[in-house]
Amino acid sequence: MTDAPTLTTARLTLRAHRLSDFAPFAAFLASDAARYVGGPLDERRAWHGFASDVGSWSLLNFGCWAVEESASRAFVGQVGLTRPAYFPEREIGWIVFPAFQRRGFALEAAQAARDFAFGALAWTTAVSYIDRDNAASIALARKLGAAEDPKAARWDDVDVGHRHPAPGGSA
Amino acid sequence: MTEAPRIETERLVLRAQRREDFEPYAAFFASERSHLAGGPLDATWSWYAFAAGVGHWALLGFGGLTIEDRATGAPLGQIGFNKLPHSPEPELAWLVFAEAEGKGVAYEAARAARDFAFGTLGWTTAVSYMSPDNVRSKALVQRLGAIYDPFAESIHEERIVFRHPASLGRR
Repeated sequence: MTDAPTLTTARLTLRAHRLSDFAPFAAFLASDAARYVGGPLDERRAWHGFASDVGSWSLLNFGCWAVEESASRAFVGQVGLTRPAYFPEREIGWIVFPAFQRRGFALEAAQAARDFAFGALAWTTAVSYIDRDNAASIALARKLGAAEDPKAARWDDVDVGHRHPAPGGSA
Repeated sequence: MTEAPRIETERLVLRAQRREDFEPYAAFFASERSHLAGGPLDATWSWYAFAAGVGHWALLGFGGLTIEDRATGAPLGQIGFNKLPHSPEPELAWLVFAEAEGKGVAYEAARAARDFAFGTLGWTTAVSYMSPDNVRSKALVQRLGAIYDPFAESIHEERIVFRHPASLGRR
């Protein structure tokens, strides 16, 4: 059985989710701030999303991490490598709660997750599915070096695939 | 983190869910047959339900298990030890795919799971929720020694509650 490995960056710790993460995670998903990730979502749906992102580690050998600010131990969001059965391919995703946005945490966490995917997991490609109206997330994908890929298969009518350049090569 | 156990009975193995168990699980939940088990579920929800059952082991210390045919290795269904944030108390659930029905598989699996819940997991009570129209499940749960509990809070207005006496699992 695989558990999320702990990764550290300059300011953040990426660690396995704990049950106590659920309440703040569900509060975010219940809010309008979650509108670009399918929200607002009720508690039942939030739980199943949360727990399936944890279960992903055992099933697929990759999944999601809780993102903590190392200095304060504050739970600031989630970053993940996911491929639920309804996704056409593997995805790198990120969420930073509103109180912790605009500090570069999403970029820092997503870089660590991407490096883990292309390094330890030896992925050769990955996309990020982003709501076409989510300007902040699209800007972040660009900072990561990803570019919109009109040929990427889509999983719904809203999200568009942004493809991450493979390590040492082109997108 | 808690690992899913391996429980052997005369004809069955209850074991950790694997990715390849998803397709028969999803096929069950896409079929009309699943309406008594909360289905049909769309592609997103069937993944959520399947993968969340895996994540529950890490988050809660119990979760889902695949029922496997001990002789052939074929997946026959699923067992769930559940206590979700939005549910009132610990639940024992089971489902058996069409081809395994009528052979006592659900009874054999549910009985072993009940003994595990009251033994290894140390539960002091457990309920099973079911549709009042689910004649087979109602017969099975009563054969297990569970009793209709009209006073128990249900998870859904269309589900009635049977309670498993803890004494049955301690032998």
